[in-house]
Amino acid sequence: MKPIRLAASLGAAFMLSATVSTIALAQAPVCSAPVKVLAQPRDGLTLLEDSKDEFQKLSGASFQIDYLNENDRRAKSRADASTVGNYNVYYVDEANVALFASSKWIVPLTDYYPADYDYADFDPGRQKVATYDRKVWFAPLTGGGDLMVYRKDILEAAGIQPPKTLDELIADVPKLTNPDKGIYGIALRGARGSGANVWRWMPFFKAYGGQWFDGDKPAFNSDAAVKATETYLKLFKDSAPGTQTGSWDESTGAFLSGQVAILVESTPLSGMAVDPKTSQVVGKIGFLPPPAPLTGGGYGHGLAIAAKANADDASKKCAGLFIAWATSKENEKRRLDAHQFGELNRTSILSSKEFADIYGADLGQALAETGKVTAVNFWQDPRWPDLGDRWGIILEELVTGTRTDIKGGLNELEAYANELVKK
Amino acid sequence: MPRRSSLPVTFVVPTLVILLILSMVPTLYAIVIALQNRELSSTAYSYVWFSNFVDLFFDRRFLNAVWVSVKWEVVTVVATMAVAIGLGVLMFEVASPRLRNIYCLLFIIPVLLPRVSAAFVWKFAYHPLYGIATYPYRLLTGGLIFDPLSKPATALFAVASVDVWQWGLFFAVIVLKLLETLPPQPIEAARLDHARRWQIHAYVTLPMLKAPLISLMFVKMIESLRSFDLIYVMTRGGPGVATETLDMYAFSQGFIESGKVSYASAMAVLMMIATVITFTMLWKRVQA
Repeated sequence: MKPIRLAASLGAAFMLSATVSTIALAQAPVCSAPVKVLAQPRDGLTLLEDSKDEFQKLSGASFQIDYLNENDRRAKSRADASTVGNYNVYYVDEANVALFASSKWIVPLTDYYPADYDYADFDPGRQKVATYDRKVWFAPLTGGGDLMVYRKDILEAAGIQPPKTLDELIADVPKLTNPDKGIYGIALRGARGSGANVWRWMPFFKAYGGQWFDGDKPAFNSDAAVKATETYLKLFKDSAPGTQTGSWDESTGAFLSGQVAILVESTPLSGMAVDPKTSQVVGKIGFLPPPAPLTGGGYGHGLAIAAKANADDASKKCAGLFIAWATSKENEKRRLDAHQFGELNRTSILSSKEFADIYGADLGQALAETGKVTAVNFWQDPRWPDLGDRWGIILEELVTGTRTDIKGGLNELEAYANELVKK
Repeated sequence: MPRRSSLPVTFVVPTLVILLILSMVPTLYAIVIALQNRELSSTAYSYVWFSNFVDLFFDRRFLNAVWVSVKWEVVTVVATMAVAIGLGVLMFEVASPRLRNIYCLLFIIPVLLPRVSAAFVWKFAYHPLYGIATYPYRLLTGGLIFDPLSKPATALFAVASVDVWQWGLFFAVIVLKLLETLPPQPIEAARLDHARRWQIHAYVTLPMLKAPLISLMFVKMIESLRSFDLIYVMTRGGPGVATETLDMYAFSQGFIESGKVSYASAMAVLMMIATVITFTMLWKRVQA
């Protein structure tokens, strides 16, 4: 009997130790050090910082977010990723995800994104923007397309119907401008940058049939680009003061403070426009898709796992858990409760009753319709930021009058594109 | 024969070695990188020797940046010294000692502000619709819009005015203190000879302060070379490339637009050579 008892005791001891170690493993914290995040300011991320304790409990470590404005965040993350690798998580966007992915500065997200957090629940358009080379690289924090937001009161007073076509927009904008009353027909972006003035210019370029490349051959130096630029410069004559060297902040700021009649901008504007905390035009606005044939600029920003700072699998899992938690349904619900329209990305939230109760049916309808004309307007290539930024400078020169030859600017850009392709 | 002490060597050598490492290592590294074709997005590189330097001379933005940098240097240094001397002499002539102290305190405040904060404050002040600096124009013209930061002709001067606001007022305090340290006899002698106030300063006090004023000018010249943060926040080199200085263009090529670190390093090396030559020549001329 003794050997049997011994074997049974050993077996029980083994089972117990296995159970204990399983429990210990189950409770072992996923993160051993705080997660360092480089991001640009977002209301959703600020709100997230209120729940630091929750992440600490979940993962065993806290997190720290360093904020820089969009252009600085792009420059800093690029420098950090290619050199020291100080950050575990980068805020990336549609314009630089191809560069970050092809340079192996970030790792495919879904390998480390816990299945429980349901990545498939994100809006399909945003999932598309987060995908490069058939792999998913980031979890969306914001995204969407363009909407035309207009002042009903100003248009009614001028006897003008909301423009449905680009020609109507071009005709209406000068009629709506009345500097004596501090009203301007439109607000555009003049500041340089692939995500600034070029972003707003691209729908015109696409509307006139422009395309960036034909295979490896630059195809943008075309009548479409000239016409798009001429139209952009023409509309700029009625753009609100401060926008000539301004970007999103300046153009939306001008609209929200009541100086602009029509604004075609990225969808988060609509949420800001109906929020009394940020808008002086609540109750006076209407929403429509961009005038045809303008395409909406499909975009998406989100969080990606850095490759260099997360050298081992454990660090990558920790960063993946942070991203999953930060973009989870629970956190997105908190953002909905805080009326952070621009921070909502999950279909389960966007189609919820609470969403419809807060933002109304009009906005939901406009969002659904604008989805049909939302497109990827930029060149989906790692070299896009380089090319886009170069055009941004030339476009800013044209907007501010430092140069006047549109064709000369396009020729210069084409020569630069050829150099890029040769490399 | 007395034994020579090794104490000076013990103190000086380690310090010199540290200084040498701190200054020479990055400099040599920058020179080496400038001879290569490194880019941030790739680990592969090779030596292209002077190709980056040659390319620079065919790059319109580089040539523009050289011209903007020269303009920036001349405008800020001349304006700062003019404001400093003008205000310093004015305070010396018209203000009581008590009032001078109050002015000194007020004039030091701008330079204590971090550059980035000052840049943001003035960026808002220059806003065409809400800015306090553009308000008088709106008032006088019945609401016409003036946007100095988006006009190529005025942007550089608008940014330079912030630099002068910070340093000109601070230097005015230094000029005042220098004037107060001068012996009173030459000034009294000039007064007895019925010299006018401006003549006293033009021919007596300022020539006596030639050496410290030249030192101040050199300090400002060096400081003006480092105005990246101010210009970056206020205009980012715009409108177009109207305020794009060499350091800003180098940063832009290295980190914002292209990730061409070798090309950016070539610019930095050229800037270093040009600065050393210019300052050495100026210093020798002043010494002579």
